[in-house]
Amino acid sequence: MNGVMLGSTYALLGIGLTLVFGIMRIVNFTHGEFYALGAYMAYLFVAQLGVNFFAAILLATAIGMIVGAALEFFILRRLKTTDIDSVMLLMIGLWIAMQNTEQLIWGGVAKLIPSPFAQQPLVFGPVSVSPLKVFVLVTAIVLLIAFHLLINHTRLGLAMRSTFQDRDVASLMGVNVGTIYMATFALGSGLAAVAGALLGPIFLVSPTMGDLASLKAFAIVILGGLGSTVGATIGGFVLALVEEFGSGYVSADFRDAFSFLVIVAVLILRPQGLFAPKERVG
Amino acid sequence: MTRLILSLLVVLAFVTLPFWMSDPYILGLLILAGIFIIAAISLNLLLGYTGQLSLGHVAFFGIGAYTSALLSRGFDVDLGLGLTLDVAPKPVWLSFLAGILMAALFGWFVGRLAFRVRGAYFVILTVSFAQVMRLIALNWVDLTEGPMAINNIPSFTLWLPGLGVTTLTTKAQNYWLVLAVAVIAFVLVAHIVRSRVGRALIALRENEGLARSVGIQVTHYLVLSTVVAAGIAGASGGLYTHYVRIVDPDVFMFIYTVTMIIMVVTGGKGTLTGPIVGGLLFGLMPELLRDYAGPEVQWIIYGAAIVLIVFFLPNGIVPAAARIWQRLAALGLRLVPEHLRPRLS
Amino acid sequence: MQKLRWATAAVAAVLTASAAQAQETIKIGMTQPLTGPVAASGNYVANGAKIAVDVINANGGVLGKKLELILEDNKSNPKEAVNAVEKLILRDKVPLLIGAWSSTYTLAIMPKLIEYKVPLIVETSSSGKITTSGNPWVFRISPTSEMEAKAFLAKYDSFQPSIKKIDFLSVNNDWGRGSAEEFSKYLKTKGVEIGSVQFMTPDATDLSAQLTAIKQSGGDTLFITTGVEQMTLALKQAAELKLPQRIITTGGSFPDQLIANPGPKEMSSYHLLFFSPWFPDKAKYPDIAKVYVDEWTKRKLEFPGLTEGFRGYDAVLTAVEAIKIAGKAEPEALREALWKTRLPAVNGDIAFIKEGPAGAESGQNQPNIYIVLLNQGKVTMPLP
Repeated sequence: MNGVMLGSTYALLGIGLTLVFGIMRIVNFTHGEFYALGAYMAYLFVAQLGVNFFAAILLATAIGMIVGAALEFFILRRLKTTDIDSVMLLMIGLWIAMQNTEQLIWGGVAKLIPSPFAQQPLVFGPVSVSPLKVFVLVTAIVLLIAFHLLINHTRLGLAMRSTFQDRDVASLMGVNVGTIYMATFALGSGLAAVAGALLGPIFLVSPTMGDLASLKAFAIVILGGLGSTVGATIGGFVLALVEEFGSGYVSADFRDAFSFLVIVAVLILRPQGLFAPKERVG
Repeated sequence: MTRLILSLLVVLAFVTLPFWMSDPYILGLLILAGIFIIAAISLNLLLGYTGQLSLGHVAFFGIGAYTSALLSRGFDVDLGLGLTLDVAPKPVWLSFLAGILMAALFGWFVGRLAFRVRGAYFVILTVSFAQVMRLIALNWVDLTEGPMAINNIPSFTLWLPGLGVTTLTTKAQNYWLVLAVAVIAFVLVAHIVRSRVGRALIALRENEGLARSVGIQVTHYLVLSTVVAAGIAGASGGLYTHYVRIVDPDVFMFIYTVTMIIMVVTGGKGTLTGPIVGGLLFGLMPELLRDYAGPEVQWIIYGAAIVLIVFFLPNGIVPAAARIWQRLAALGLRLVPEHLRPRLS
Repeated sequence: MQKLRWATAAVAAVLTASAAQAQETIKIGMTQPLTGPVAASGNYVANGAKIAVDVINANGGVLGKKLELILEDNKSNPKEAVNAVEKLILRDKVPLLIGAWSSTYTLAIMPKLIEYKVPLIVETSSSGKITTSGNPWVFRISPTSEMEAKAFLAKYDSFQPSIKKIDFLSVNNDWGRGSAEEFSKYLKTKGVEIGSVQFMTPDATDLSAQLTAIKQSGGDTLFITTGVEQMTLALKQAAELKLPQRIITTGGSFPDQLIANPGPKEMSSYHLLFFSPWFPDKAKYPDIAKVYVDEWTKRKLEFPGLTEGFRGYDAVLTAVEAIKIAGKAEPEALREALWKTRLPAVNGDIAFIKEGPAGAESGQNQPNIYIVLLNQGKVTMPLP
């Protein structure tokens, strides 16, 4: 249960990262910071401004998307280089600056976001689970379904998929690539922010929370295959379950090692990832 | 010719630096910056010349650091089945060389494994490798003392002509040692880049398919450059461990790889002097900022500086400076009467 | 090259400027993790030290001069810890250092103490290696895990029902491992059985696997040793899993977030602290503790930070006492004075006993512990 709940939020994180990489060819080091931003916004609205918990999650997601869109519009779009390493370096710079801005504003002390759910765990036989976790799981699943509908059944989704396949052809066919990039980055950032806003109340909010999230997101994307959103969804669940069962049955010390061992194994056996067709290898 | 004189002057300035800048604090900063510049030089060989991004480069740095630390202190480790490996302390210079070899060996292994895949997958595989190394350092407590750290690591000793084996204690001595290793690393990388191997690597970076079709043994050259890069990174780890004199699993911290990437890419990847310029800038800048801003603001400025460099100098500082230099030179030439202009060959 | 020259010239200019204007004060250098993963605690300790300096200066300073605290960030990183102390020693010429929070950072700066002959007051680090590796410039006021375990043993009989079988959930570093080892060792002397011993990486957020294993061990008491953030997570998740064990946390941190946001009603936990800000009266020297608590609240700092901030406060008090005894602010004189230093402080009495190889002993203080109970956002001190 816990693994499934984590998996659903990992999937949101992974999709956001794989989307930005697949369509924009950007190794997005700020991804974890958008996760942290979502969590801090939820904290700001719920704990500091007294906004309703559910509204705060929506607001946090919206702010994540707006900041993401602004970042694309004011910085990424205006870059004179498309070199993948230079853009990555830029994202590293932004990551460092964003993380320390969070610390400057909210301090290094971890914050707890109060939730309106009952603290008493629900008990089903031997399993006990908090209502908050059930809420997070349900929301994350709804978002995952909504996202796949968006990609597969809307004009925006079609334009994104065609840009992913071939940017130049898509542009020739009348797709406004600039708009698609902005939408992609906003969507990717929004997904990270909503994951942060959902997990924030379960865990704690601290300036360095994004680092682990980035690491996990990268792992998920590799597991699923770069640029594959279906792969990232499944990759998220696989990673969470591997962590859960690996540490449950072998040793919790090596919990984080399992994910990496699985990745190394996947790369050796199937370098293009579990779910991506071979020609997508970047 | 002028190039040669200029580079000799630069080297001379660095060599004589302890005489005209005897402040031990600045020497200390240059030593630590220099250690990371050596690592950045090795990363540049991979990133700048083969186009392969090793996001786990710190693994080789850490392997060099741990190998050298363990051998110089001696260790005994239970190998299971009643076997124990008991190693007596070795001289530091020997441990240091062993650290380089061990890192190079891992470089060969990772190269063989990783170059079955390319690009982004190479990135992730190297990240995972560094993570696995960190976890080994953390959990194989019997050998590495895990998070309890290995401390009291001896300072560097070196056999010097006329003096025999001496311990390097002063800042200036350590500075010269780091400088010497940096020069060797620089010359080695320069030599490789300008040789047949280097041309093959560049051909490969530009167009792998074409390089393959004209008969370049792609994997062979990639593995070779990984081995050299790993060895140099191992040397930098060895210098670190005998200078800081403590090593713990934090040497595998991702931020160290990030530091190396910042040095290489801001300086100008694929240029020989790029890592040095970027390294001096980003190695010294945090220290210069200490007096002027709060701790978080220092980091924000650091991040903003990176963003600005990518924004305005997308290819890095060295290529931009070279362009300005060329323009100035052209301008200067125009001011000289035509019959006095040197002939450009 | 030109660029480098300018940079070095600029550095040199700053150097001369700062050396010229620094005559009227007595300086103490401090390095703490002010940014990075452990920044929260580093800032608490730094705030405690700043308050102590203000209090001392408000009372006329020391040796007729103002005390000046120079604080440098070690960026949660041993390499930067080295840079920070070299700056403090070589540029600011401080005669005495306080630092560096984590054992790793402290171990990284220890060779520099021998190189430049400057004493260090260690305020937080708990690793045994710090005082046993033959560094005569180290004076530690914080307790080792062994001392904590020994002090806990004295309160063993106050727990009802009594402790029979214990489990551990510890962060996987020198501190967590050391704590599990020492508490097992000392509690075994009371015939206590050891159940499940679980470790977690410092950045782990989901601890359900470890806690599930602990739930099944059949122990009656769980010791948790980790930083305050992970401790809060562990307590929340333990309550969710309905862990039957009584929980005791070690190391002196307090999960302050659980006061405003209490968990389920059965959730309660004991915390082993070195200062309990709710009950300054129970401190050995209530007057000193009250000044510290008042000044902290006056500055509107987070109340629970008091449980860690006292480390910085006591370190500065110790430094000042040593300066008074030495009569001058010179490193060698201060080192000798620290051996003679005895003072009342927030935690209790501070005095150093010798530890480590003969001839190169380090100083170690024997601190006091306090145990509080947190239940539904209320803090009490139920044990005698």
